[in-house]
Amino acid sequence: MTEAIRTPKSSVSTSSVWQLVKYALLAMLLMFMLLVCLHAVTLRLEIGSESNAAVDFARNSISLNLGSEPPQLDSTKSTDMVSGQVLGHVMEGLIRYGPNNEILPGIAESWEVSELSATFYLRKNAVWSNGSPVTADDFVFAWQTALDPETASQYAFILYPLKNGEAINTDGADVEDLGAKAIDDFTLKVELEQPTPYFIKLLAFFTYLPINREFYDSRDGTYGTSVEDLIFNGPFTVSKWQHGSSLRLEKNVDYWNSEDIKLDAIDFAYIISDPNAIINLFATKKIVMAGLQAENIERALANRWPVKEHVDGSVFYLGFNHREDRPTSNRNLRKAIQLVCDPEELVYKVLKTPGNRPGESIFPVWLRGVNGYFRDEYPAPKHKPDPDLAREYLVRALTELELSSPPQLIFLTGDSEFSTKHAEYYQSLFKENLGIEVRIDQQIFQQRLAKMTSGDYDIVAAGWGPDYDDVLTFGDLFTSWNANNRGLFKNDELDRNVQIAQQSSDPKTRMEAMNRVQHILYEEAAIIFEYERGSNYVADDRVQGVTRRVVGTDPDYTRAYIVDKAKE
Amino acid sequence: MNLSFTPATVETDIEQTSRPSLSYWQDAWIRLVANKRAITSLFVIICLLLFAFVAPHTIWRVKHDIQNLDRASEPPWVNRKALVLSDNDTWNDVVVPDAVGEHRAPTSLEVVGEAATSRVRLMWDAVPNSHGYRVYRNIVEPREGAPLGLSIGVVNESTLVSFEDRLDIRQKPYWYSVVALHEDGSEFDTAKTLRVVPQRSIYVSEALALPGVDSAQPGETVALVWHPLGTDYLGRDMLARLMKGAQVSLTIGIVAPLLFMVLGIVIGSVSGYFGGIVDAGLMRFTDFVIALPFLLFMILFKLMFVPPEGEANFLSSVQDFLGIEGGILAMVVALVLLSWPGIARLVRGEVLKIREQGYVEASRLLGAPNRWLIGRHMIPNTMGVVLVSFTFAVPATIFTEAFLSFIGMGVVPPTPSWGSMCNDGIRTMETYPHELLFPALFISITVLAFNLLGDGLRDALDARMRSSE
Repeated sequence: MTEAIRTPKSSVSTSSVWQLVKYALLAMLLMFMLLVCLHAVTLRLEIGSESNAAVDFARNSISLNLGSEPPQLDSTKSTDMVSGQVLGHVMEGLIRYGPNNEILPGIAESWEVSELSATFYLRKNAVWSNGSPVTADDFVFAWQTALDPETASQYAFILYPLKNGEAINTDGADVEDLGAKAIDDFTLKVELEQPTPYFIKLLAFFTYLPINREFYDSRDGTYGTSVEDLIFNGPFTVSKWQHGSSLRLEKNVDYWNSEDIKLDAIDFAYIISDPNAIINLFATKKIVMAGLQAENIERALANRWPVKEHVDGSVFYLGFNHREDRPTSNRNLRKAIQLVCDPEELVYKVLKTPGNRPGESIFPVWLRGVNGYFRDEYPAPKHKPDPDLAREYLVRALTELELSSPPQLIFLTGDSEFSTKHAEYYQSLFKENLGIEVRIDQQIFQQRLAKMTSGDYDIVAAGWGPDYDDVLTFGDLFTSWNANNRGLFKNDELDRNVQIAQQSSDPKTRMEAMNRVQHILYEEAAIIFEYERGSNYVADDRVQGVTRRVVGTDPDYTRAYIVDKAKE
Repeated sequence: MNLSFTPATVETDIEQTSRPSLSYWQDAWIRLVANKRAITSLFVIICLLLFAFVAPHTIWRVKHDIQNLDRASEPPWVNRKALVLSDNDTWNDVVVPDAVGEHRAPTSLEVVGEAATSRVRLMWDAVPNSHGYRVYRNIVEPREGAPLGLSIGVVNESTLVSFEDRLDIRQKPYWYSVVALHEDGSEFDTAKTLRVVPQRSIYVSEALALPGVDSAQPGETVALVWHPLGTDYLGRDMLARLMKGAQVSLTIGIVAPLLFMVLGIVIGSVSGYFGGIVDAGLMRFTDFVIALPFLLFMILFKLMFVPPEGEANFLSSVQDFLGIEGGILAMVVALVLLSWPGIARLVRGEVLKIREQGYVEASRLLGAPNRWLIGRHMIPNTMGVVLVSFTFAVPATIFTEAFLSFIGMGVVPPTPSWGSMCNDGIRTMETYPHELLFPALFISITVLAFNLLGDGLRDALDARMRSSE
């Protein structure tokens, strides 16, 4: 170094540069060789270790990833999809859904339904994993617990069709007044608050699952938090639950229909949420299924993995804040925004994954109508983006709001990478077409809900997944009394139509009321329909009999089995 | 004897054994210039500064936040020729009578009209006894018995034999397959496959909006806007974003070290010069600051500077007043508050050393006041160390900024920084490597250049090294 400084033109500096280059090349070569060696070693290790392979023929088991860990497995308190999936494998309610969403007998062998009541006859060979039989009282107990205000169940509302359900949950009525009574151990009598044509469909939802009263009381408040604090009546049992890392299900030999269950174990060997890490697990044959993001689809195709599609039934929309102090309470402003939004562009150019459908209505296409599909019978409102008309609405809105320039709006959204991209798309869309500045506010789910409840936003990216298989699961979302109507949209005609659909038992009357709802939502620009979500995933084709569902346990591995392609 | 003494001619030209007197800084400059690597780095840094602060206003005035979803994730070498399509480019479903025959898959599959990136229209002939069709798209040729690719559409009528694909079509070969469906939705065992290479397309209205295009008729081709470094995932110009990102990265990388240097020098020199209890107190405080976790602080700062909606606080209003884009001020403040201890310790050590030197003692004995001692001896003699650590602090700060933005704790979208651009690019690393490559390259070059310059400066300024020559 000092040499080089003293005699700048000497050859020493050139040769030292060459030396440096030589060392650098050598170092890179060594690094490369090391990588090759490591790669070879890991490959060998993977072949050697059968225990964490995706499909384990010796143990008749499969490995999977859980997107997140269930907070607990107490069905009265669960709210998330992952808990729902695990509960669907280890518990069984009065009914269950078959592979084509048909209603099959579960714990109830048969039932009689009339307009305001239902009687269920339970099978006598259904037992809990501690040996005691599953009785009618277990259902009554679970429902009473979920409705008890002390439990603070977020899904208590799904039990409101039961007589006095809502009164117990909100008005402090006695839980003993609930319209569900155990006539004897195996007969359950249910009374309804009002005619609820879709009541039977509700019963597969996890809040309706039974809980063993004796066991629940013996756990002293810890029910559902660990393997020791759970008992099961479903096809599988949780045999190992390492919080934060894995969850293992084993076949329940005491399950009444255990000959239908082919797999001996389902190993949720990973609890990982990073999509790329999940894909890598699939690529190295560690798990049998992985969701595909738009970025990974080409990789899956190039590797010739079987790419499948699943429509999960959810609809996504931009919700407005209708509180009076917000600019978005102005209908003309909402109309202006609605007219620059193009769901087709969003799906084809931003989401870029097949399966997603441009949103046209709050009711997704898979919902049933009178005879066929609802959306075939009652077409969605026609939407055509029109920026010029949008600007006219904007001018009117500004006059009404007494503003000289378009207001800045707050766009509340999630904290994922996709949310950023999605929000940036709208930011630019509104800026370019309407001159509306958008401030993106990214928050985690709980925080987002809190902000939506307190009204701390103008526009929110929201979605709704179906809880049961009926139009009302979407139809009542924007009624003035629904707690999930966090933007406080209020429209008397919409409220009236939802009441008609809730009380009538005539399919045509109900569907016509719902048709009004979808048009009101569009005309008032109460929300902006974005897309119906469809997702892509790759699945190991050695695993068969897996059911993907819109409503209920998804994905459902209870009736899955493995086939050895090499032996065929 | 006539002794005549003639005076010898005086050799006035005494051999010069000393070089011209040079000041410390002149000497350092000569050394620096002689160091090729350092000078190259200096040149690179000047280029980067021009790139960040001059080029966006002169050579490349493209805006960094203009999206064009039709041109998302384009690499630089993409073909810019586009086919012009009519604005009313709609198409009706093709319906044919019931098919007769024995075939189990369509016998023909063809593209109707041009295969364009805005749509590919397929038509096939009906299959007898089918109840619909499923259309697949693949990027590799499907093999016998292997999956057909991505299911992009389902037709539920056996007589409806057309499909329009609009899903994110790019200029590259696709293999479309059509397979007939049974009543229950299961597929027939054979499929008809067609290779299609869509041509880039643009609508008339869009073509007319292009610079330099006066008229466009359907069927003509026009050249699209040039993106020298391609586009990102929302079709924004990479070069413009890199320039904007350079502004953010270099501003933070230079402003933050400047500020924490000043803070560090003040604290370090006060501590070293006065010594005793002041020194002990300040140094314990320094230890305390070193122990603070940087990331945690960063998260807290971000919350304060980017407050929940509607509640502007003092800090956020300062930020708005200065017109600084989201998150930058938070990062600078966090860096300044937490990075000064290193330089403070360094300066304190130097001052302690110089304080005890003979010449300082002599100066003091001759009656020099405090300000002379500080101004003439302390500051100039610590300047070398300070300058060297400054040049090392700059790349370290740029790197920290990139890291923070990479993990999403840095700038707020849509403001780009090299780090956040890397974060965006890493998701599509396998399919569109340029989105990651360019920002990563810029970070590497900048950090390397500053480090090499720092190396050169240290060699040029370090007194101890000079004496060892």
